[in-house]
Amino acid sequence: MTTESILEIRDVHFAYGGVRAVDGCSFTVGRQASTGLIGPNGAGKSTLIEVVAGGLRPQSGQVLFEGEDIAGMGRMGIARRGIVRTFQLSRELLHLPVIENVMIAAQDQVGENPMTALFAAPRWRPQETDLLQRADELLAWVGLERLRYAPAGSLSGGQRRLLDIARALMARPKLLLLDEPTAGVYPALVQMIAERLKELPAMGVTLLMVAHNMGFVASVCDDVVVMAQGRMLTRGSLDEVRGNREVVQAYLGG
Amino acid sequence: MMYFLVAALALGCINAIMVLGFNIQYGFTGILNFTYYTFAAIGAYIAAVTTMGPPPQGVGIQVYILQWSLPWPVGLLLGGLVAAAAGLLVVLIAVRRLRSDYLAIVTVSVGYIIWDVIDNYIPLFNGDNGLFAVPHITGSMRLSSLGYAVVMLIVSALCLGVFYLVARRIYHSPFGRVLRAVREDEVVAASFGKNVFQAQVWVFVIGSFMAGVAGGLLIQYIGAWNPNAFLPLETFVLLAALVIGGTANYNGSILGAFLIIEVVDEASRFLPTFGRPDLVGAVRAIVIGVALILVLRFKPGGLLAESRVRLYGRGEAR
Amino acid sequence: MGFGLVTAAVIAMGAVGLTLQVGVTNFVNFAYGDFVTFGAYVTYAVDNASGSFATGVICGGLATGLLALLCNLVLFRTFVAQKARVITLVIVTVGLSFIVQNAVIVIWGTGAYTYNVTIGNALHLGPLILTPGDLAIIGASVVLLLGLHALLQYTRFGKSLRATSDNADLALACGIDTGRLVNWTWVISGFFAAVAGVALVLETNTLRPTVGFNELFLFFAAVILGGLGRPYGAMLGALIIGLATEIAGMYVDAAYKSAIAFAILVLVLLFRPEGIFATRGKTD
Repeated sequence: MTTESILEIRDVHFAYGGVRAVDGCSFTVGRQASTGLIGPNGAGKSTLIEVVAGGLRPQSGQVLFEGEDIAGMGRMGIARRGIVRTFQLSRELLHLPVIENVMIAAQDQVGENPMTALFAAPRWRPQETDLLQRADELLAWVGLERLRYAPAGSLSGGQRRLLDIARALMARPKLLLLDEPTAGVYPALVQMIAERLKELPAMGVTLLMVAHNMGFVASVCDDVVVMAQGRMLTRGSLDEVRGNREVVQAYLGG
Repeated sequence: MMYFLVAALALGCINAIMVLGFNIQYGFTGILNFTYYTFAAIGAYIAAVTTMGPPPQGVGIQVYILQWSLPWPVGLLLGGLVAAAAGLLVVLIAVRRLRSDYLAIVTVSVGYIIWDVIDNYIPLFNGDNGLFAVPHITGSMRLSSLGYAVVMLIVSALCLGVFYLVARRIYHSPFGRVLRAVREDEVVAASFGKNVFQAQVWVFVIGSFMAGVAGGLLIQYIGAWNPNAFLPLETFVLLAALVIGGTANYNGSILGAFLIIEVVDEASRFLPTFGRPDLVGAVRAIVIGVALILVLRFKPGGLLAESRVRLYGRGEAR
Repeated sequence: MGFGLVTAAVIAMGAVGLTLQVGVTNFVNFAYGDFVTFGAYVTYAVDNASGSFATGVICGGLATGLLALLCNLVLFRTFVAQKARVITLVIVTVGLSFIVQNAVIVIWGTGAYTYNVTIGNALHLGPLILTPGDLAIIGASVVLLLGLHALLQYTRFGKSLRATSDNADLALACGIDTGRLVNWTWVISGFFAAVAGVALVLETNTLRPTVGFNELFLFFAAVILGGLGRPYGAMLGALIIGLATEIAGMYVDAAYKSAIAFAILVLVLLFRPEGIFATRGKTD
């Protein structure tokens, strides 16, 4: 674990309709770390992820990614800086084939510009071939290669979570935000997802995930940040945190 | 007989260009532009007033702008460009903020305003009287009706060929992939760094350009145009052709244009009128409406559904 | 002066029928204008057959309510059951619009008719100049809208309707028979469409197959100004449009009045798409 932090949440506040979902939250995430974000329901975890991912603009505070304040920047800008997320309710492009769901994630595609697409095919066709190869490798890595042409909507819940991961990796993220990556997934598949995710920090990816499955968190995360009532309560390894009386209180008290 | 066939084919090609452009907006990208035909009208008017000189003598009084007497390809191109510019304006102010049925309402309203202005403001395009005596592309060459129809068929088919290749290339390119992502889920598209708005703008402009060129071809073929020709109904007919032919399927657009607009049109010539000439048009519209609903109910992708397009080496649809 | 009030009354009745339905079913009915037309024509036919205009109006209202109900039972319900996208349903209503409008042409032809009713001479009431016909329209609209208000506020049906419009899933979970409610909403929508159609024909003195379709966008404008699914908003929206077109008519050529209304609509959509009055709207 390095001392350099890739993400710093600084006193972020986000409220809507009088509810202070994120209320002065601050913590850092180290480069290539694997950090869990846990806490009771309503603690503001998913909201915080949404803020970092650019879907929500915080009323105050900063979100520093590699030193740059990205708060309020919008999804597109944040994605282009190398932050990729998965969604709590799996969001695939349901009517499109699995392979296309993965291909869409690739960054810096020359052919995405309509002028280049129309008039400079020799410039993007080779890239397309390379990307397809990589996409197929990723699908194989998560075991979905047989479903290449299946519409994403026809996949089971667990398969969609795997697709999420393959898709996220296609974008070569620096920071991967996962929102409940194993919700609704059966245990054997949970283990497979855990194994895949564990490989990521070595590949240069930093992980920050919201999760409720403590076994999963124990398996994948180096340390956890506990959130309650919109801010960080404490952080440490899962064992340390479990014994913390305040944490227990937070979960029980709600 | 030959003349009717050639004329039908020529008009079919022109309509196919419009359905294709509409499909790029709606089928590829999910933007329902309920005033698509208005852009064809703009193209038609511009093509006319840039190729017409001062009002011809002795054929009634027409008032209109420009009067540049340019050659017909330039008129066509200008028609397309002005239509594209109008499309750019509409999308810049509208698309960014509106959900799909709101957008339908806004585009219809914009179309109505444009129609209202053109219909009433005579100095622009001669108002409700419309334009006529628009120069043929063959200039002062005297051709028979059949001869001219053949010329128009060749020109229209060539234009269609070009736009078909454009649509196909777009669909199979990474840009096409972005469009599909935008269509399916804008949030996901943005979450992977795609510029959703820019894609929507491009598509609106390209589709409007195609409408403009098609409109130009139409007015140069018919030689006349008036505001009754681009009532909202026309866009709905295009939509029916699009949906029935196949949403997001560029081959389906050709099929839909020829089938719905041409075949139904031509077939309705042979219906008995029982002394009521308005009956034919009405029955035709009812048939189209019923066909549209049936397709949406039983084959929502259209006769040639999107899944039939070979993407990423996939075989035929399951 | 005063013409704007008549316009407002007509638009209010049309917009209310539309907004109630949109609020409950969550899709815009592009065939609504043709329901308006249908109601006006049935009124005409029954009036001619029976000699009584009142009977004509009642039959027109009932017939259109029935038509709307049929459309839901036979058509919309199947698509909703298939979880069709909103945009698909919109296109279905477009197809329906073709059918209804042209069915009217098949039955009655494309010619223009008028009602057999005397409008009376213009009366001067203070600054307003209105004919008895105008007053009748305004009066009828007030009565109907008050009746609707009573229905919405004081009856169980009305409360169920408001609940469903707000949150259909929650309403269903609370035991409201949303299926039946939707059916009745369509009937009401059709009824208001018909009345609006009759008023429209009285106002313009022409009955043609496109009479409702041409007004559709003014109804849309009022509905959106007031916020989708908000009948009171629609009434206020109608008032605004009526007044705006009247004021605009003093400065601009009468032919552009509709364009002014649409320009207002487009501006509202750009800057406050939830409507002027919405505090929370149905967001995407």
